[in-house]
Amino acid sequence: MGSLRRSWRDGAFRILALSVGLAALALASVILLRAELDQRVDQRTAASLGGALVLEGSRAPDDGQRPAGNALTSSLVLEFPTVVVAGDDTLLVSAKAVDADYPLRGELQVAPDRFGAAGPRDHGPRPGRTWVADGVIDRLGKAVGDTLTLGEAELTITGVIRSEPDQGAAFYSVNPRVLMHADDVEASGVIGPGSRLDYRLLVDGPATAVAVHRRQLESVGLRPDQSLEGVDDARVRSFGPLQQLTLYVSVGVLLVVVLCAAALTMASAQRAARQARLAALLRTFGAPRRRVLQRLLTGEAIALLPAVAAGLLLGGLVVLIARQALGWQGPLAAGPVDWLLIAALPPGLWLVFGVTQGLALARAPITRLLQRSGGVQPVGVSGLIAAVTLLAVAAAWLSGSPRELAWLIGLLLVLAIGLPAALWPLLKGLDWLSPRLPLASRLALRRLTRRPALALPLLAALMAAMAVLALSGHVGTRLLADWRASLPERAPNYFLLNVFDADLPALDAWLAEHDALAKPRYPVTRARLTEINDQPVRQAVTKESRQAGNALNRDLVLTETERLPPSNQVSTGRWHGESDTAGVSVETELAQGLGISLGDNVTFVGPSGELTATVTSLREVNWESFEPNFYFIFTPGTLPAADLSWLTSFWLPPGDGGRLAELLGQMPQATLLDVNTLLDRAQAIIDQASRASALLAALLMAAALLVLAAALMSLRTVRDRDNAMLRVLGADAALLRRIAWQEALAWGGLAAIGASLLVTAALWPLGHLLFDGRLPWSVWQLLPAVAALGIALGGLRLGRGGDDGPMRLLAS
Amino acid sequence: MVEARGVSRTVPGPDGPLMLLDAIDLTVARGETVAVGGPSGSGKSTLLGLLAGLDVPSAGDIRLAGEAFSHLDEDARAARRGALCGFVFQSFHLVADLTARENVMLPLELAGADRPGDTADRWLERVGLSHRRQHFPPTLSGGEQQRVGLARAFATRPQLLFADEPTGSLDHANRDRVAELLFDLNREAGTALLLVTHDDDLAHHCRRVLRLEAGQLQHG
Repeated sequence: MGSLRRSWRDGAFRILALSVGLAALALASVILLRAELDQRVDQRTAASLGGALVLEGSRAPDDGQRPAGNALTSSLVLEFPTVVVAGDDTLLVSAKAVDADYPLRGELQVAPDRFGAAGPRDHGPRPGRTWVADGVIDRLGKAVGDTLTLGEAELTITGVIRSEPDQGAAFYSVNPRVLMHADDVEASGVIGPGSRLDYRLLVDGPATAVAVHRRQLESVGLRPDQSLEGVDDARVRSFGPLQQLTLYVSVGVLLVVVLCAAALTMASAQRAARQARLAALLRTFGAPRRRVLQRLLTGEAIALLPAVAAGLLLGGLVVLIARQALGWQGPLAAGPVDWLLIAALPPGLWLVFGVTQGLALARAPITRLLQRSGGVQPVGVSGLIAAVTLLAVAAAWLSGSPRELAWLIGLLLVLAIGLPAALWPLLKGLDWLSPRLPLASRLALRRLTRRPALALPLLAALMAAMAVLALSGHVGTRLLADWRASLPERAPNYFLLNVFDADLPALDAWLAEHDALAKPRYPVTRARLTEINDQPVRQAVTKESRQAGNALNRDLVLTETERLPPSNQVSTGRWHGESDTAGVSVETELAQGLGISLGDNVTFVGPSGELTATVTSLREVNWESFEPNFYFIFTPGTLPAADLSWLTSFWLPPGDGGRLAELLGQMPQATLLDVNTLLDRAQAIIDQASRASALLAALLMAAALLVLAAALMSLRTVRDRDNAMLRVLGADAALLRRIAWQEALAWGGLAAIGASLLVTAALWPLGHLLFDGRLPWSVWQLLPAVAALGIALGGLRLGRGGDDGPMRLLAS
Repeated sequence: MVEARGVSRTVPGPDGPLMLLDAIDLTVARGETVAVGGPSGSGKSTLLGLLAGLDVPSAGDIRLAGEAFSHLDEDARAARRGALCGFVFQSFHLVADLTARENVMLPLELAGADRPGDTADRWLERVGLSHRRQHFPPTLSGGEQQRVGLARAFATRPQLLFADEPTGSLDHANRDRVAELLFDLNREAGTALLLVTHDDDLAHHCRRVLRLEAGQLQHG
């Protein structure tokens, strides 16, 4: 205990302990959170796939492809488009036949009637029965208890499907769903040669057993019509904002670790410098190197243990708080490797970055140790390899895939090399300016400009930390609210979909009665893009594009109109107007992503079959206009009239939302989107993300300040000697204080200027996108300046040491 | 120029107060050169520190240019020191982040002198280092650093120069050159000099040589 207190009194040890503790906190919290997130994403992905592994094909899987033994469960699902008949009415539907084991993951939500509340079901319909989507009931005018004819089979409607767990895999979703038992398929006789069938063998079970089965399937080989998809392939995290968030967190934590390593190295060098004489004496008196190291490092290791333990506990606490805030239940998701890394990385960090400085004491010639005046010792090749290996292990574990690892390392390199390189001209400029400055400012600035190897990375770290902290606060608290406030007055706050011709008189009457401000309405249908210039679209598109991928993987909403929507502008070609030929106008970015140009033919498959049109123009679309916008707009009369419903938007005065029930009562099939509710939900998500980001930024800031403290401490000998010299030459205490706070202000101020530029650069595109070119403003942008002032005030401590110093300058 | 009367300096020791200097009486007149020699630990540097106001005596008084000095506070002593005294150190003690020229300018700037750059240039020329004025100390040799130190010491035209083993860190050739330069400049400026040294040859350049033994001054 006494040795711990003694160690803690040394400033260098405090920095050492705080660095290890902070790294432990950051690594523990992020590794645990990552495990939680991965588990939940995998669960959700598996649910949307219908199982951990899905074998898809146009024919039933071979017997040998089904899992054998009890380790895995499986279910075979067949989907096919077909026609159901009810009296004189027919309807194209997407039938889905399931066996007794369906669903493997998740639950079906089924309502007892058209407007009833849905409840969970863990099985499909029994033979002879069917559950159908709202659209089947509405379009055929049927109700629960009525009968449908599917081929030669008569099926009784016993429920209304609201959701299926494996909806993400549904291919024929353009048509309303009819869910039936697999036993009824043969009896119906609708399956024959040439039928378009989609068989999916869903497999689930423990991850290792699933992996073994996958390897078996792949080693034997799949049929040409088959494809295999697992959770890893379909992981939602691989796409979109969640990937960006986890990547951002990983980069942030790695930066924290790198900064802690830097602080640790400098603080350890200080400790080693103080122990150099003792090490030299021990070795002079014949102590073996092992004994010297034991003497120097054992106490240090024991003294650091409480810091590691505190960091790990705090990291665990962060995760528990996050789990509670997000409502996550169940045991912690971290596996043995996670726990091993959490326990091993912080001490490993000290061993690699701290102990190497101690090792130098056991290796360096004794005479050099006796003359040693401090400073970081070169770590040597083995030390460098150990450092890179440790950081690579951390990076590999923090990233989920080689692609993410490449991004992670790329971003780290950009930050580690790009930011210091960008600051280099600034430092050179200040060096050029410094001779023209008063003495105090000159001396303060020179302590930075004369040490670029220390100043540039340190300024970059401070700058990044300040920028991230300011951006987290700004985006989390203000951005969405500011954007909402900047929208035009009476911008539509409701979107109404699935409105039929018969509903229009009632809709118009209701809008007029409630002073709602209606925007233009569009006839729409849903269809899937299948061919470009008679080539299957997946072959035609070779370019990797997220937008193109989105367009290919789902049904698109198509419309037709003779008038160009107000927030659209034709960039290439001519607006079709009232042309007689089947023409289509395509949104520019999507056209680029799909490689579509003027004159190309695009083919869609919709409820009434195929539809082909020639591209006559490309359009720029202002997606932020809050009006209905479309990727594809056709010449009037091109889309099959039978498939069309109406889409409209309107503004309703605040507080009148309650009267919408009356409207929906008149058109129960219509779908209403409440923009305010969507924005509130988005705000809640952004708030949570920004809180995580702010925590990360706080850790980053703490790590950067630790490096600053370590750096200032490593310069203390120089500073004390200079202060003493100034005192001898007649300087008063006020001048020393002035130099000290100006030096600290230079560190903080330069970082703050850089951070403000970074924040502005980050907000600039948002300003153009959302705020008509104006930069969004909030008090958070003052944060770098406040942080700089805080650092300057802390710098006043540096002005001490001049009073008793002058005598030390004398020779004996 | 500087006058010490009954100056003592004690520090706490394990067996009671330890006497470093015992009732020292010393006067250095205007323009006079005085060397103080003696074995290691005899108190030479302590005496120099007290006379220069870098430390305060436990007993006795020190007057600088006829005015009480040792009873002033640290800032007041620093101001008087800056106005009246120059310093040369064994380890040069140049500020590493300032160029040779800026090091010479340093006491001038602290004293609020006009055109400190021009004065510094003249002094660097005088010590033969005009061509090195934009160099930083780590790029200068020991002899060059001490010549910059001499230029810095004389730049404010001090009335009293304190020199603490000024040639102690130099090789033979540089030692002679620096010693010659020190006494030449001192003669030209008419500055009083208090020199602390082990080096008898150097000490004998001074008009008066004193010896300090066990904290007591022995007039030679």
